[in-house]
Amino acid sequence: MKYRLATLAAIIAAHAAPVSAATDAITFSGFGTLGAVLTHSDDLQFRRVGVEAPGTQSVDFAPDTVLGVQTNFRLGDSAEAVLQVLSRETPKNTYTPRASLAFLSYSLSPESTLRAGRLRLPTFMLSDSMLISYAHPWVRPPVEVYGLSPFSDLDGIDFFYRRRIKDVDVELHPYLGRSQLDIVQTGHSSLSHLRGLNIGLSSGALTLHAGYARARLDMRWGDPFTSRLLDALQSAPGGEHIIAKMQGSDAATSFTSAGFQWDGERWLLIGEYAARRAAAFANSAYGWHLTVGRHIGPFTPYLKLARTIQTSPIISDQLSAGQPALQRFNASRNGAQRSFGAGLRWDLRHDAAFKMEFARTHTDNDSWGAFFPVHHLTRVSDRTINTLSVSIDVVF
Amino acid sequence: MSSSKRHGPLRRWIALASILLMLAAPAVRAEIVLVTAMDSAIEALSRDEAEQLYLGRRATLSARGALILLDLPSGPVRDQFYRLLTGKNPSQIRAYWSRMVFTGRALPPTESANVSDAHRILLENPNAIAYLPATYAEDPSLRVLLRLE
Repeated sequence: MKYRLATLAAIIAAHAAPVSAATDAITFSGFGTLGAVLTHSDDLQFRRVGVEAPGTQSVDFAPDTVLGVQTNFRLGDSAEAVLQVLSRETPKNTYTPRASLAFLSYSLSPESTLRAGRLRLPTFMLSDSMLISYAHPWVRPPVEVYGLSPFSDLDGIDFFYRRRIKDVDVELHPYLGRSQLDIVQTGHSSLSHLRGLNIGLSSGALTLHAGYARARLDMRWGDPFTSRLLDALQSAPGGEHIIAKMQGSDAATSFTSAGFQWDGERWLLIGEYAARRAAAFANSAYGWHLTVGRHIGPFTPYLKLARTIQTSPIISDQLSAGQPALQRFNASRNGAQRSFGAGLRWDLRHDAAFKMEFARTHTDNDSWGAFFPVHHLTRVSDRTINTLSVSIDVVF
Repeated sequence: MSSSKRHGPLRRWIALASILLMLAAPAVRAEIVLVTAMDSAIEALSRDEAEQLYLGRRATLSARGALILLDLPSGPVRDQFYRLLTGKNPSQIRAYWSRMVFTGRALPPTESANVSDAHRILLENPNAIAYLPATYAEDPSLRVLLRLE
């Protein structure tokens, strides 16, 4: 036994030997964004994801500001461990750092990699890099699509298979696991039995994406308004049917997306369609965005159009008819809106970019869109709201 | 007199050749070679493999174990290399790599301090690959795997 262990150790050492001083066993890197959003309305707040803690200031640093530090540990020739710790405002209104990546990866062949641990959930085309603002032309990927999936962690396994066919790089990315999410105050949500597949095709300046995932959704709301509403429904006749639509366990949920990116010498074109279907606890909706940009030296000015449309509310129109509290609950969980934006990315240095974006958004008449009222009785639906966002992104 | 007549065409050829050389000079300077050490086991590298490696779409060449992929610091040679191999400009490459790194997909090539540092690392590590200005193609200690122009 001892001999076997010694042999094993020798084999491992022999495998590890070619790693020289030229490639460090440990690599540190990081990324950060300092961003501010000015909502041109005294009574509304912008929120990036429907579950985050809304701010109270007219200039809000919370939606986009983030800091991430990462360590890659090389473990021999084909294995690696990655730890990424990230700090941004949580739905609990703190900046407590948390592990956003913590996984082991193993290369089975030059074309395939298996990873297990905490990964990023790649729901839509750019979901796994949603907070790495430096990687994108915008201050943030359009909320009209990315608001449809607030989940960002994948606790489980994923697999990459890459292969070049002619001059096209094909990437198959299946994944499996679960995801958890805190919601404002004491709320909590999770996706279990989560499984998905992404297909990516890249050739030169063009990248195509298609993705599909399904899961079981659990939901527990924790904000005071919904808690009072749930209490009231408990004692109302037929209330339990409505409660069963609002929160509980095991609602079948699916996410579908298809998108493209053309990042050429001069032109930048990005477009995506994404849909969320949920049997309960969340509404079913779809969204799309389209961006046209132009590279002029270090500047990339762009125009952006985006839309979210609700296909079915959490509580059906029949049940919520004549019930303002139920309608308010539905609207506050509905991100339906349309927006037009104009922005600029300026690559300041080789490791920093400055961005600004003006957007004019109109919320649907049964929706709060990406906004939250500062005062309880403020109307959010069917309004036109201007926002100005600026950010500085760095990578190190 | 007769000698000047005899040398006339030759002089014209020399003049023409020097003009051609001068014209060709910028192109020669812009050319970049992917190289490894002469005693390296890596004998061939296709353009496809090179592009995949430098875009983090594969980590190794088949069944040859770990590879040390070298990068040069920011500058004209590096910018030219990525433009020739991937068609991406410096900002696009950096944005691309930031996504690869921070989603945990790949680590970028190891950055050497300068061209001569890259040369030194190549000689010390037979499993290393680097891109260098084409003048290094004549270096007897290096093996040219791929020429980019």
